[in-house]
Amino acid sequence: MIDLTPRPMRLLDCYDDGEAARHFAFAIEPLADEPVVQPGQFFMLALPGVGEAAFTYVSPPDADGRFSALIRQTGTLTAALFALAPGAVLGYRGPFGRGWPAVEPGERLLLVAGGCGLAPLAGLIDSTDGELQLIYAARNRSYQVLARERARWCGRLRLVETLDQGNDGLPQGSPLEALAWALNEAEVPTKVLCCGPEPLMLAVARRCIDQGLAASRIWLSLERRMHCGVGLCGHCYIGSSYACVDGPTYRYDEYLRLLAASGQAAATCLPPQPC
Amino acid sequence: MQAYELDRPERLRAHLACTRQLYQPLADGQGTLRWQLLSADDDRPFMMPAEPPVFSAKAFFFAEREALFRYENGQFIPLPPAVRPQVLFGLAACDLTAVAYQDRFFAADPHYQARRAATLLVGVDCAHSCRHGFCAMMDSGPEVRPHTADLILCPLEQRWLLLVASEQGERALTGLALTPAPADWAQQRDAQAMQVAVEQGEQAEIALGCAALNGETVDSQTWEALGLRCLGCSGCTSVCPTCSCFAPLQQPSAGGVVQERVWDSCLYQGFQKEASGHNPSATPGQRVQRFWYHKFGDDFRQRFGRDGCVGCGRCDAVCPGGIGVHQVMKRIGQP
Repeated sequence: MIDLTPRPMRLLDCYDDGEAARHFAFAIEPLADEPVVQPGQFFMLALPGVGEAAFTYVSPPDADGRFSALIRQTGTLTAALFALAPGAVLGYRGPFGRGWPAVEPGERLLLVAGGCGLAPLAGLIDSTDGELQLIYAARNRSYQVLARERARWCGRLRLVETLDQGNDGLPQGSPLEALAWALNEAEVPTKVLCCGPEPLMLAVARRCIDQGLAASRIWLSLERRMHCGVGLCGHCYIGSSYACVDGPTYRYDEYLRLLAASGQAAATCLPPQPC
Repeated sequence: MQAYELDRPERLRAHLACTRQLYQPLADGQGTLRWQLLSADDDRPFMMPAEPPVFSAKAFFFAEREALFRYENGQFIPLPPAVRPQVLFGLAACDLTAVAYQDRFFAADPHYQARRAATLLVGVDCAHSCRHGFCAMMDSGPEVRPHTADLILCPLEQRWLLLVASEQGERALTGLALTPAPADWAQQRDAQAMQVAVEQGEQAEIALGCAALNGETVDSQTWEALGLRCLGCSGCTSVCPTCSCFAPLQQPSAGGVVQERVWDSCLYQGFQKEASGHNPSATPGQRVQRFWYHKFGDDFRQRFGRDGCVGCGRCDAVCPGGIGVHQVMKRIGQP
C-alpha cells in the first residue's frame, strides 16, 4: 500500500540563488530502507496549512537524510515556504517518478536547461562520469540559478550560457543556435536531455530532429500539476500517462506517441514563458 | 457457480443485515433513487429499479470527501477511515464492473482498500434495459459479470435465483435455508440477458464514435464545438462510476490542520493549471476530449484492462449541455 501521510522534514537553511529563487537545504530522518533517489525524480513538499507541491532534488538525501532543492517563488505554497525560518517543520513524500535514463559508459550527453530547469539536471551532472556539454538558457543574468554548482562544474563540463536579455538588453546567444553548433560537431551526442519551459523543450527537440538526431535519443522533463505523486489524483496526465509515475522524464518519441494517441498536439502549448 | 432458488430477496437481505450495515438504492423524498442505509428489521419490498440510482456505489470506497492525515505539533498523523462491515444490496452489473475497475485503479490506496475489504457486494441482473444503458456493448452487463460480485440475484418469473460468486459470498449465506436451483437456471439467465441486450439495440453511434476517437480523425474544431456546450459543472464526473480524480484540501482543525481529499473534475478549467499560469488543457474542447479519451481510448483500455466506460448512461441523464455519451459519440462519429 502507498503511504499518503508525509514524513517530517526540517528546513535547515537556505540562500538566494537567482531572481526569486532560493536554494534550500532540508533534512529527513532516513529510513532503514530509504529509497535511493535517481536524478530527475521529485518529492512532494508539504507545508502544513498550505498544501503540497512537487519539487525536484538538486542533491539527493545523504546518509544523514540531508538534501537540497532549488525553488522559485511562483505561487501560494512557495510564497509561504519563502517566509519560513530555518528549523521549520515541513512534510516529505518521495522519491517519485522516473528520473533521467541510465547513462552508459562512454556516452556523450548534451544537456539543455532553461531557467529553473537546470535543477533536475544538477544531480545527473554530479553523478555521471560521462562526457557532458551543458547549454544553459536564462531570461537574464539575475534569473540564472545554481551559481555555486555552475562554478564548481567549470572544467568538469563544457558550458554554454545564453541570455534572452544580456546586460545591454539584447539577446546574448541563443540556446537553439548553441544547440545547432553542438549537433554539428564531429561527435554527435548519444543523448540530449532537456528541462525548461515546455515550448523551449519542444523547440530543442524539433531542432534535434531537424539535425538528424533520432527522437529516441531525446529526453524531456515535463512539468505538470501534481497532487498525489502516485498516479491516482489524475491531474498530471499526458495522454494516457501520468507524469508523476510515468514521467516526469519522457523520451521524446514516447511523448509524441502519447499526444498523438490522445488526439492532442504538442503545438497546443502556450507561448514561451519567462525562464 | 452454486445456484439456489430464493422465494423473496428480502429474506436474504434481512439475513445479511444482521451482521452488517446494509445499503440499498431507495427513493428519497423527491423520488430520486439513492443508496440508503436500511435497518435489519426494515421490511420494505426489494424493488428492481427501472433506472440506476443517480449516484453509483463509488462513494462507498472512494469517498467524496475524506481526511488523509492530520498535522499537529510537528507530526503528521495518518487518519485511516473507520470501517464497519457493510453490504451493498442490489448493485447492477454496470456498477459492479465499475467497482472492479476501481479496485484495480486504487489497488495500492489504503483508504479505498480498507473500505472495500469490509464490503460484501450483492449484485442483481437487470431484467430490462434502463433508458440510457448500453452495458451489453461495453461488456459490463446486463447480467452481473464474473468476479465482480460476491452474491448475485437474478429475477425470474415468480422467483429469484441466488448465485454464489465468491468465497466471501458463500460464507455470508451460512445459516440461511436455501434450496438448490433447477438445473436449467443458466439457460434461463442467459435468455434474459439476451433479451435485455436486444432492448438496448445496436448502439452504432457508440461504436462509430469510439472508432473515430481512436482513429485520430476528430479535429479540434469538433471538440471545441462540443466544449462550448460544457458548463464545467462536474455532473458527469460525479455520477460516472469510474471517474476517480481528486484534489487536496487543507482544513484547519483544533490544534492543527487536516489534509483532506475531495472529488475533482477534469472538466474544471483549472484542473491542470500550474502555479506559473501555464495550463496544458486550457480550452473546454481539450477538456471534453480528455474526458472521453479516458473513457474510450485504446491506450487506457490496455492500461486498465477494459474501457473506462461501463455503459450506465448516467452522463446522458445528468449533462445539462446535452453532451452525454450518446450525443458526443454520435457527433464525433459523423464523417
